[in-house]
Amino acid sequence: MNERYAMIIEDNEDLAIIFAEALQAAGFETGIIQDGERAVKELETTQPRIIILDLHLPHVSGEEILKGIRADPRFEDTRVIIATADPRMADMLKDEADLVLLKPISFGQLRDLASRLAPEKTASSQSE
Amino acid sequence: MKPGVLNKWLDVPSTDPDDARRRKLLNILLVGTGSLIVVTLLVTGLLATSPLESISQSLFRLILQGGVVSLVGILIVFVINREWSGRIASSLFLLILTLAIAFSDEPRQVVEGRSVFLFTIPILMASVVLFPWASFAMAGVTTLIVARMAVSIDIVPPLPTMLGFFAFALVSWLSARSLENALKDLRALNRELDQRVEDRTRELRRANRQLARANERLLELDRLKSRFVSMVSHELRTPLGAIQGFAEMLRAGIYGSLSEKQDDALQRVQRNTKRLLNIVNDLLDQARIEAGELSLHPEPFSPEVLVEDLRSTMGVLAEQKGLSLTVEIDEDTPQPVYGDRERLHQVLVNLTNNAIKFTDEGGIHVHIGRANSDYSNHWAMAVSDTGPGISQKDKELVFTPFRRVDDSMTREHTGVGLGLSIVKQLVELMDGDIILESELGHGSTFTVVLPLQREQRRES
Repeated sequence: MNERYAMIIEDNEDLAIIFAEALQAAGFETGIIQDGERAVKELETTQPRIIILDLHLPHVSGEEILKGIRADPRFEDTRVIIATADPRMADMLKDEADLVLLKPISFGQLRDLASRLAPEKTASSQSE
Repeated sequence: MKPGVLNKWLDVPSTDPDDARRRKLLNILLVGTGSLIVVTLLVTGLLATSPLESISQSLFRLILQGGVVSLVGILIVFVINREWSGRIASSLFLLILTLAIAFSDEPRQVVEGRSVFLFTIPILMASVVLFPWASFAMAGVTTLIVARMAVSIDIVPPLPTMLGFFAFALVSWLSARSLENALKDLRALNRELDQRVEDRTRELRRANRQLARANERLLELDRLKSRFVSMVSHELRTPLGAIQGFAEMLRAGIYGSLSEKQDDALQRVQRNTKRLLNIVNDLLDQARIEAGELSLHPEPFSPEVLVEDLRSTMGVLAEQKGLSLTVEIDEDTPQPVYGDRERLHQVLVNLTNNAIKFTDEGGIHVHIGRANSDYSNHWAMAVSDTGPGISQKDKELVFTPFRRVDDSMTREHTGVGLGLSIVKQLVELMDGDIILESELGHGSTFTVVLPLQREQRRES
């Protein structure tokens, strides 16, 4: 598990940049992946601390990626934050993800949320 | 014997209703006449064997012979009537009947005595079982028979009796003809009615088809609208989110420090983006409510939480407009209340936002507590303002989607007119009610009443 690494799986480049900036501001190293298939491949070798997951992705949907993550014990300590604009999907996946954020997601909101999961604070904020 | 069974025996299968009617009538006459003959035979039999000898042996034999021959004739006619359509059976029956009458008594009695009236029976029958005018033919035949018999026994043919036969024929002809005409009219009327029913049914079927098509089109439109709204909302929200995010990052100094003017401009960008986003969210909510896709997530929570959320969301807005925002929670407010916290927050924010929008002086007061006695098992949130108030006429309009009460206000007050409509629909979705009390010049109070949990209810 890479405690400092946050993976952003989001096909919209603008939003991906905002998410990345927010997570960087919270003290994470970030990587942006804009394609579902590539995300699945990448996750074979890396175990990020945080995954920001969009649901509408090319090739492999965010829902499938989430299913894969939940079935894999390597990601036991990985926090999955779903970012979706679809309130129905948000409702449906509420229990599957650690957090569901309804787009638009503000920079400040994500930065503050991520801060609580940041490496130097993880031990004290497990309950969140 | 049940009437149904009797009818089955008397009915004749025929496609022509007149033919069927005549042949059934003949059957009835056959059965009636047959029965009469049987009764006559029994009575004459009894009289002949009685010691009083009130009837001569020769007469008895005559009646017996005539009766048996008539019965056989009736049976034959009955069979013919069942098998052949047309008037063969009727003619045969009338012939047999007339002959039977002619030989049923002593010739003198038949010509000018007790049995002469019997000849009127076939005359009357002829017009109903053959044609209306057949009674005249029958009267003619009978006259000939009577005349022939009179000559054979050397008496003058009884002219008044013969004329009487034609008088009977006339009456019979008239009644049969009017019956047939009435039937004809009735049948024509029936046909016309049938035609009308058929026409109407066809029209109805066509209208139904059109209605079904229109309905299908409406449903399709509705589906399209829902899809369109949710797609548009998604496509609008994403770039709006990006604009908002970048403006926020710029203001947070992520890309370097800003001048005061730059910061102010960005603040305006943010404010307008937020406004646009709110509209899009309202449209999306409206579409989801209309499509029945909005689901609630009730949970127990403290009313104080609602008030705190409201203050942090709306406090600044009220302050900017120089309005007070005061909150009061009654001591006996049930704790906790149960509901979809996010949606109740939305309800309260929409009501407060609306109040702020239309109030220029004074303030907004939010009051949470038990509902009044009309709603004994409910709790209530009331938002009152010191705005211009709403007229009686406009009260019905305020909850209608996309309707703004005062058009002059439309330009001044932003929004698409969905806020209160969404509030009402959300409250109804929560099995609650919304009450508007307002008077022009005296402000408005919107009260939302919501059901309590079963264990929180108290008898009143």
